[in-house]
Amino acid sequence: MLEISELRKVYESPNRVVEAIRSLTFSVGEGELVCVVGPSGCGKTTLLRSIAGLLPVSGGEVRLAGSPVTGPPPRMAVVFQEYGRSLFPWMTVRQNVELPLKEKRVPPSRRAELVADSLEAVGLGDAADAHPWQLSGGMQQRVAIARAVAYEPQVLLMDEPFAAVDAQTRADLEDLILRLWRDLGVTTLFVTHDIDEAVYLGQRVIVLSSSPTVIMEDLKVDLPAERDQLTTRSLPRFGELRGHIYEQIQRAREAR
Amino acid sequence: MRALRRAVTWFGLPVLLVLVWWLVSGGSFYLPDPLKVVRAFWDTWVSARAFEDVLPSLGRLLLGYVAATLLGVGLGVLVGLSPRLRATLEPVLEFFRAIPPPVLVPLLMLLAGIDTPMKVLVIVSGCVWPILLNTVEGVRALDEVLADTCRMYGVRGGSRLRRFVLRGASPQIMAGLRQALSIGIILMVISEMFASSSGLGFTIVLFQRQFQIAEMWSGILLLGLIGLALSFLFRLLERRVLSWYYGSGAARA
Amino acid sequence: MSRTPFGARRRLLYGLAGLAGLLALVEAVPRLGLVDERYLPPATTILATLARELATAGLWIALGETLIGWALGLAIAFFLAVAIGVVIGIVPGLRAATTSTIEFLRPIPSVALVPLATLLYGPSLSSTLLLVVYASFWQVLIQVLYGVAAVDSVAYDTARSYGLGSWSRVRHLIWPTALPYVMTGLRLAAAVAFILAVTAELVIGSPGLGAEIQVAQSSGAVPAVYALIVLAGLVGIGVNVAVRFLERRVLSWHPSVRSEATT
Repeated sequence: MLEISELRKVYESPNRVVEAIRSLTFSVGEGELVCVVGPSGCGKTTLLRSIAGLLPVSGGEVRLAGSPVTGPPPRMAVVFQEYGRSLFPWMTVRQNVELPLKEKRVPPSRRAELVADSLEAVGLGDAADAHPWQLSGGMQQRVAIARAVAYEPQVLLMDEPFAAVDAQTRADLEDLILRLWRDLGVTTLFVTHDIDEAVYLGQRVIVLSSSPTVIMEDLKVDLPAERDQLTTRSLPRFGELRGHIYEQIQRAREAR
Repeated sequence: MRALRRAVTWFGLPVLLVLVWWLVSGGSFYLPDPLKVVRAFWDTWVSARAFEDVLPSLGRLLLGYVAATLLGVGLGVLVGLSPRLRATLEPVLEFFRAIPPPVLVPLLMLLAGIDTPMKVLVIVSGCVWPILLNTVEGVRALDEVLADTCRMYGVRGGSRLRRFVLRGASPQIMAGLRQALSIGIILMVISEMFASSSGLGFTIVLFQRQFQIAEMWSGILLLGLIGLALSFLFRLLERRVLSWYYGSGAARA
Repeated sequence: MSRTPFGARRRLLYGLAGLAGLLALVEAVPRLGLVDERYLPPATTILATLARELATAGLWIALGETLIGWALGLAIAFFLAVAIGVVIGIVPGLRAATTSTIEFLRPIPSVALVPLATLLYGPSLSSTLLLVVYASFWQVLIQVLYGVAAVDSVAYDTARSYGLGSWSRVRHLIWPTALPYVMTGLRLAAAVAFILAVTAELVIGSPGLGAEIQVAQSSGAVPAVYALIVLAGLVGIGVNVAVRFLERRVLSWHPSVRSEATT
């Protein structure tokens, strides 16, 4: 579904050149949930913005369902880390979710249905007429998720979406993502700096090196499909995977 | 009881000031007592003059203000969206803004005569700069995450302009409009004081020249009331347009 | 990861190109006959006229008079507004009692006072001062009131409980907190004061730059009108730059810059 081949990104300004991403090749299969994890400053956001078509790449290419990505593709949705800044403060929750659908020219009746369903799915059925700034951080990120879901994307990209919410909310949101992914079967690429989160959510975890970024490891998560905050996290295998990735990232840091 | 106290704090000082005015005005030629001014106000402005002088002045103000708004916001969005255009034009625009608007009156009299077009033009050319520069600033400072969101979800063209660019820049645009309003009132009056045979500014200066002191004061009072009313209307508009802005606490940040 | 940065040097180059473009436009439009030279003289003519005017003592005297009116009016308004603002801010109840009056007087356009100034003082510096002081007074006063209101009430109570007298409170607590606001007020007032100084000269005929423009216009000296307007713009920029510089100087070493962090 999503193929990234030899992706390279170099930032150039008149007096210096920074190689952010050296070369990345991986793919995400249809309906898969893949997590990307790496040390801070390893170009995770650069990678995600390149895949989303928000940033021109310096080399290699990104293909979505076979066709190369040159700008934001029509059937891709992104949930940004900065929930406070990705929602339009002058619109209600409903209007925020509805806006992309309007742009897609979805007929009004279907639009209303999609908005209601997606808000219901993230547990914000009664907050539709509130403005984003009247909601807590976790709820705002739910709105952004609802907006992405209502858009009916082929691929869902998430850029450290829970980095700025408290631990309890974070666990709830992780389970929300798993539930939505299972119900909708949408191909998901989830970028995070949190190893636990990556192992808990992903079917696969891609471990990145420090910048200039290459892939350290593409790891299959052989945990039971059914995840649960308590039981999954206390499985011995969970600990092993986590420890393994942690080592990799330590190595990446030291190699720098 | 509480209502009474509020009434006293609200009206206490104004009443006191009017009383002082009354006492002071006793023998002065230049300062007639309040009653005379109020009577002059009634006789002068609540009459045909309201239609001959006051309304046309306000009409020109409105026309010029609206034209300046369209021009300023339109150009401001264009300039604000292009870093290159902005870098090129910013010094030029700063220069035009630094020119005290009233000096344009004699110039525009040369170019456009002394009738309505000149007066409207004066108001436009004075009001447009704060609106333009504030719009540029507002558009420049649009949130990048929101801009990315628009790109991702295919919000572009007119919809992007309406739902993102103009709304996102509206706090700064409103700040520009507020500055422009007070400049507009000044220019409305000055353009009529200069070379005119009608209008509010002309009438007040006429009273002064003819030493109709009470009438002159009533004109000053009227201008004050107009300023007050317009600033009140503007505040209503601002509260409506920017309710999200005040609500989100962004105004205090 | 943000937008591509636009270097300061390139910005300067573009800005100079913009100014050059404006000059070229003003040069070309009348030369090509798109607008009659009688209404818009070419840029070179305007600048030459300006240079010639700048060589005369009369213009410098006029400029000096404008700046005296501006500075004196601004200073009077500033000290008046600061004194009144602080008193209103610290005397309990006074703030509430004066709100309605301030809200009524503030929006009165200062040009409404033109006939009064003419009547009382005629074409003189006093007329200029009346308009300048009235217009800039409110700009400063409002900011001073914001500033005094921004004083942390806990800090205020603390200061009181330690028995700081009124004067000490003003000096060590209220003034430092309010200073950034006061400087904002001064910056806004400086621009308004310049506009009103020129306006008074233009409309009432008080000596100064505005009066020169008025004379040039009525004698049909179009290039001189343009030249003087350009000069007024340049002085306006100078006024803005000077006040901004002052603001930065006053606030850079002052502890009040960090007042936001303490509240």
